[in-house]
Amino acid sequence: MKNIVIGRYIPGNSFLYRMDPRTKIIALIVLMVAVFMIPREAFEMMFVGLGLILILLLIGKISIKRVYLGLRPLMFLLLFTFVFQILFNKTGPELQAWTLNYSFLNIAVIVAIVVFWMYTKRFIKAKFIYLILMIIAIITVLNQLTLGPIFATRQLVVHEDALMIGFFIMMRLIIIVTLSTVLTLSTKPTDLNLGLEAVMKPLKYLRINTEEMAMIISISLRYIPTLLDEANKIMLAQASRGVDFSEGKLKDKVMQIISLLVPMFIISFKRSDELANAMEARCFVPGATRTRLHQLFWSRLDTISLVTSIIILIGSIAVRVVT
Amino acid sequence: MDIIQMKNVSFEYQQDQPVLENINLNIKKGEWLTILGHNGSGKSTLSKLLIGLLKPNQGEIIVDNILLSRETIQDVRKHIGIVFQNPDNQFVGVTVRDDIAFGLENLQVPRNEMVERIEKYAHKVNMAEFLNKEPHNLSGGQKQRVAIAGILAMQTDIIIFDEATSMLDPKGRKMILEYMKQLNAEGVTIITITHDMKESVLSDRIVVLKNGKILKIDTATNVLKDQETLEKSNLEMLLPLKVLRYLERENIADEKVRSYLWQLSLKR
Amino acid sequence: MAIKFKKVDFKYQGNDNKAYLALSNITLNIKAEGEFITLIGETGSGKTTLVQHMNALLTPLSGDVEIFGVKINRENVKKKRVKLNPIRQQVGLVFQFPEYQLFEETILKDIIFGPKNFGVDEKTAIERAKNVIKVVGLDESYLSRSPFNLSGGEKKRVSIAGILAMEPDILILDEPTSGLDPLGRNALLDVFYNIHTKLNKTIIIITHDMNTVYEYAKRVLVMRDSYLVYDGDPIELFTKKNIENWNLDVPDLLHLINQIETDLNLKLPKKPRNETELFTQLKAVLK
Ligand SMILES: Nc1ncnc2c1ncn2[C@@H]1O[C@H](COP(=O)(O)OP(=O)(O)OP(=O)(O)O)[C@@H](O)[C@H]1O
Ligand SMILES: Nc1ncnc2c1ncn2[C@@H]1O[C@H](COP(=O)(O)OP(=O)(O)OP(=O)(O)O)[C@@H](O)[C@H]1O
Ligand SMILES: [Mg+2]
Ligand SMILES: [Mg+2]
Repeated sequence: MKNIVIGRYIPGNSFLYRMDPRTKIIALIVLMVAVFMIPREAFEMMFVGLGLILILLLIGKISIKRVYLGLRPLMFLLLFTFVFQILFNKTGPELQAWTLNYSFLNIAVIVAIVVFWMYTKRFIKAKFIYLILMIIAIITVLNQLTLGPIFATRQLVVHEDALMIGFFIMMRLIIIVTLSTVLTLSTKPTDLNLGLEAVMKPLKYLRINTEEMAMIISISLRYIPTLLDEANKIMLAQASRGVDFSEGKLKDKVMQIISLLVPMFIISFKRSDELANAMEARCFVPGATRTRLHQLFWSRLDTISLVTSIIILIGSIAVRVVT
Repeated sequence: MDIIQMKNVSFEYQQDQPVLENINLNIKKGEWLTILGHNGSGKSTLSKLLIGLLKPNQGEIIVDNILLSRETIQDVRKHIGIVFQNPDNQFVGVTVRDDIAFGLENLQVPRNEMVERIEKYAHKVNMAEFLNKEPHNLSGGQKQRVAIAGILAMQTDIIIFDEATSMLDPKGRKMILEYMKQLNAEGVTIITITHDMKESVLSDRIVVLKNGKILKIDTATNVLKDQETLEKSNLEMLLPLKVLRYLERENIADEKVRSYLWQLSLKR
Repeated sequence: MAIKFKKVDFKYQGNDNKAYLALSNITLNIKAEGEFITLIGETGSGKTTLVQHMNALLTPLSGDVEIFGVKINRENVKKKRVKLNPIRQQVGLVFQFPEYQLFEETILKDIIFGPKNFGVDEKTAIERAKNVIKVVGLDESYLSRSPFNLSGGEKKRVSIAGILAMEPDILILDEPTSGLDPLGRNALLDVFYNIHTKLNKTIIIITHDMNTVYEYAKRVLVMRDSYLVYDGDPIELFTKKNIENWNLDVPDLLHLINQIETDLNLKLPKKPRNETELFTQLKAVLK
């Protein structure tokens, strides 16, 4: 639970921390557009994008491990889109075809592999890679092991498009999530709030209450970690009264999670009510002018960063035009 | 002059289960009023009515000559600060500093002054070294201190303390009480809700609530010596007064001992 | 010894990348039976952190804690070599903030949550709930209410009821009397005291109320700035030590006795431990 980093601010002191939140938000938008501009056909450009991100993390002194932790909850989504593409996308030239043979021996070996995986995975740090290794092992067994009577065969055909699009979508997601994680990791929630408010100011002309909206966004961002803390608290309360979170079968675990979700809902409702009360009691009026403790300063760094991200956007537009 | 008037106020959370009934209460400007009463007698509910977080089902509340209503509520709140019973419910900011700043930002205090006040009140409650910490990750007593600082910094002319010192160590509690005295001397109206009988000695008047009704309103001295009323609402007498009562009953104290104990118990 | 601390250190990892020291070099032994301990000390000195270790909710950073023979340290917990559940059954902990402890939809469900988890059947658990709700000074009609829509003191009482219903061997209460009305406080302290004397169970209470310490405790632990600075007799603490330095205060009873003795020139034969003793001694002296 503690490892979930979405929305969490981690103190640091690189240039990312010195940047104005407005710059970071605008740059995030610009770069996201840039990512979406890159057409499928030029999927190699995603490597460039990934390279740029790595450079950003490096000079921004953001630990890659942190970002990885942020991506981890998404890993299964990523894997799923990839597998989905491979299985169902049948356009483009054939890249590789495997014959999958089903026999009793095969199935027995696969069961053995799965059981082995289930019992050993708790000792392995890189669980995700271990899962992929297992899938590869299963496919290899199906493909290579042809001893004994075979009662069915099937073709696993991988098309170039499937691989490419799967990869492309994965990269896109990774880049976007990483960028947003960098924003929340390096920006204090209060600054984020100020930044959002400033960036959304133009929306005022569309008669949207921008300050309220900024407050809503930043409170919900701030509340993700708080909700996780809340879940943690309930878990402690339940643990101290006999719920065992570390042991138990899958069924028990599912039951435990359900018994966690119900109070989570009730308590978060109650919390938001109380938060609203606390804010009101301290004279908060939605939409009213407030003075600010934190102030925003535009510096050269901001101009440079913004120009850089616009150049990247132009670059990707250029790529789109060319291909 | 009465700065707060409650006229015939009743309130219920659920229908037909009145939590406060026919409350008539006037609080004078610059007064220190203590609200006492058993658990669930309606003290916190009353305080929430005063700042308009709850709306009375009946009756009216007038603060500083303004009738509390939807339209006036925001003006009224500028006069009243409240420290909630559970400090956790009070935190808005991500750090202690931001949290103290929150009220000031809403009151449109200029930035320079804001910075000064944050420093000042963080020192007042002894939390200056924790300014960058998350309020949720503090110990119980530290949370209470931060909650107090957040309200003191707003410098309102009425402050309600809802059991605000219940988790402080004896020295910390004394410190806050001393500061309340000082504020009161400067003219701030103070309303404390407490279960600590020693704390109530400091106030000018005491209200005793029982099951949502006012059992007694009187000067602190008159309430504190009224054993019957106190016990009706699960309260107890101060120790010297208990001794005095005992000696009187046993008929073994001379005048000197009596007046000594009397003085002792009501010393502020 | 039921609970043993050996050179325990603990730090909290703050979000600002700083570590906050909460326990330093704590060595401590607590018996399984017959102890009545109060744990006191200034705000933020580490009391809550200490008792959370006794419930295995926190794991020491270094050193180890042994609870009913189960050794809890970094390594054992990481490798999942220890079963924590039996500990929680034997050591009941009431949290400082009842809000952190209550989570079920109704008070009844909340109270039977613990007992049911430890294998008590539903009927017995409900019987227990009906009993403990009265023990904490509320009536049965509360059982069907939500634990979230209560006054502060009522929440506190319900959270205590939830642990009492588990009938643990050792009962630990983190500031159980803060927020209780005076008579309710006295009544609950008597409940704990009765559990202690009748069932010979060990009770540990965190409090800022010096009167509780003086009138009930057989042993007092004082914490300051993450260190355990005193472990011993309460009377000695209040009469011999310089408690001002530890942000403590003299109990009302002692304070009054000192005042009476100096101002009225009296001498009580013995330091009274409670009101009744004070009364009888005063009676003897004044007559
Ligand atoms: N949100 C709520 N919904 C329904 N009933 C409530 C709610 N909050 C409080 N009550 C009930 O209203 C009554 C008064 O509660 P209140 O919190 O005002 O008591 P209190 O005097 O502050 O008590 P305490 O000393 O325990 O803090 C209690 O009986 C309580 O059960
Ligand atoms: N979750 C947390 N994260 C970071 N620091 C914490 C956390 N909980 C407590 N601390 C810090 O650890 C220290 C000890 O806290 P603890 O809660 O044990 O104190 P305590 O003695 O119970 O105080 P109190 O009497 O105020 O409840 C404090 O300085 C506190 O700020
Ligand atoms: Mg209350
Ligand atoms: Mg504590």
